[in-house]
Formats: sequence, C-alpha cells, structure tokens
Amino acid sequence: MTLQIVLAVSAVLFCFGLAAAFSRANAIMVLVGIEFMLGAANLNFLAFWRFSGDPAALTGVMFAIFSIAVAAAEAAVGLAIVILVHRRFRSVEVDDANQLRG
Amino acid sequence: MDAFCQSLCADPIAALSGWFVLVPSLVLLLSAAAAVAARNLVRAALLATLSFVALGVVFIALGAEFVGFAQLLVYVGAVAMLIVFVILLTKPEQLARSPLAGAGPAGGILVAFALLAALLGFIFASPAADKALPAAAAAAPVAAIGRALLGEYVVVFIALGVLLTAALIGAAVIALEDEEP
Repeated sequence: MTLQIVLAVSAVLFCFGLAAAFSRANAIMVLVGIEFMLGAANLNFLAFWRFSGDPAALTGVMFAIFSIAVAAAEAAVGLAIVILVHRRFRSVEVDDANQLRG
Repeated sequence: MDAFCQSLCADPIAALSGWFVLVPSLVLLLSAAAAVAARNLVRAALLATLSFVALGVVFIALGAEFVGFAQLLVYVGAVAMLIVFVILLTKPEQLARSPLAGAGPAGGILVAFALLAALLGFIFASPAADKALPAAAAAAPVAAIGRALLGEYVVVFIALGVLLTAALIGAAVIALEDEEP
C-alpha cells in the first residue's frame, strides 16, 4: 500500500471523468464527468495529506472540504443551466446548443 | 503469507488498512467506468452514485472521516438526487439511449487515455510518490477541524457560505420559468 497506488486510482478516475466530459453527448453526463474529476482531485489532496506523515496539519482535509462545497455549488448551477438549455432547445445534448442567443 | 497472518492477529486494523482502501477503490473505478460507458441515463446516474459512495468510503479508509461523511452527504444526498431530478425533468424519451457526442467520441477518449498514460508514467517514475503508509494512525479529529474552520480558515469559511448562497439563488433564478418567450 503505497502513495503510488492511491495516486494511480485518482489518475484513472480523473481520466474517466475527462473521457465522459469530452465524449458524452448528454450535458448531464458531461457534468457527472466533471464531478468525477473533482472527486479525483479531492482524493489526491487526502492521499498527500495521509501519506505526509504530519496528519496534525489539516491542510489537505481543509482543501478537500472547501472543494466539496464548491463542487456542490457547481453542480447546482450546472444542472440549472441544463434545465434552461432543455427549455430553449428542447434537447439536453451539447451539440444541439449551438447558438449564443437561445 | 505466514507473516501476513501473524500481523493480522497482532493488529488486524493495521494489517487490513491497505485493503480498506484498495477494495472500495476497485468498486469506485469499476462503477465510474460503467457510468461513463452506460447508454441508459438512469443507469449511468445510479452507477455514478455508487462511485460517489465508494469514493466516500475511500476517504474514510484514508483517515479523513469528516471529509468522507461530507462526501456521502453532499454527493449521494444532494448531487445524485439533483442529477436524477434533472434527468426526470428533461426529455424522458431520450432515457433509453443517450448517444455519444457527434463530433466523434474517439478523439475525447484518445486524449483521456493519452493523459492517463502520461500521469501514470509520472506517478510511477517519481521517487516522491514511492512512499509507504505512515504507521502512525492518521486521524483528523472533528473538533480540530471545527476549530480550524472557525479559526485559521474563517475567512474562507465565510466566503464559501456567500458563494453557496449566491450559487443556489443563481441556480433558482436560472431555472425559473420565464414569463415572456
């Protein structure tokens, strides 16, 4: 059980999120991909904190907590935008929302 | 194997601490991969929820109990619900089959795997990452986290409250039914 394994898990999760954000047509799945990427970043923060040998310094934990809160705000606004796009374009596919003026 | 059995009897938590991280990590990666690949949107949302649960369990296994439970509350309790509600509010006839992006999904997957190869190369080449789990039981006591939140990090804490309020009001305004088309 080394730091490398946790970092590798985090890298794989990040790349799954990246693949979802790049290649899924549905805007909801793009947002899920972004959530995966944020989760991978949180996993990195906690891994470096856990393996640092100085658990009394709460920096990694604090960063992860703030990051989770920002991710919650991002999800709320992102999904509201998905609802708006669906109302304007009658579709939630990112390729269909191709006009600046809805 | 014999040494492992002896250490298991001596200190079961310490001997198994690696597995507490590895097993939920495996669940996390498998469910995330299935969620990314699933054509059915509801199935993808439920698999994503399972991977959020597994990620919370990994956090708890790494010793960050507070972050783990915050992850479970925020992602499984709020974000997963939000995703399911948005799937229900948008076109239900697209549920069964959600195609990949028209511009060619192969490009995105290729970029993701190229980045993955580069990252894994860096991780396994770096001497700084070749570190064993510290023996000292890491613990982030909730009392210490609370003191840090309202002491050292109080400005960030308040700014985050303002950000969340603004984001939730903004989300409600964006999603509000507008009267004139």
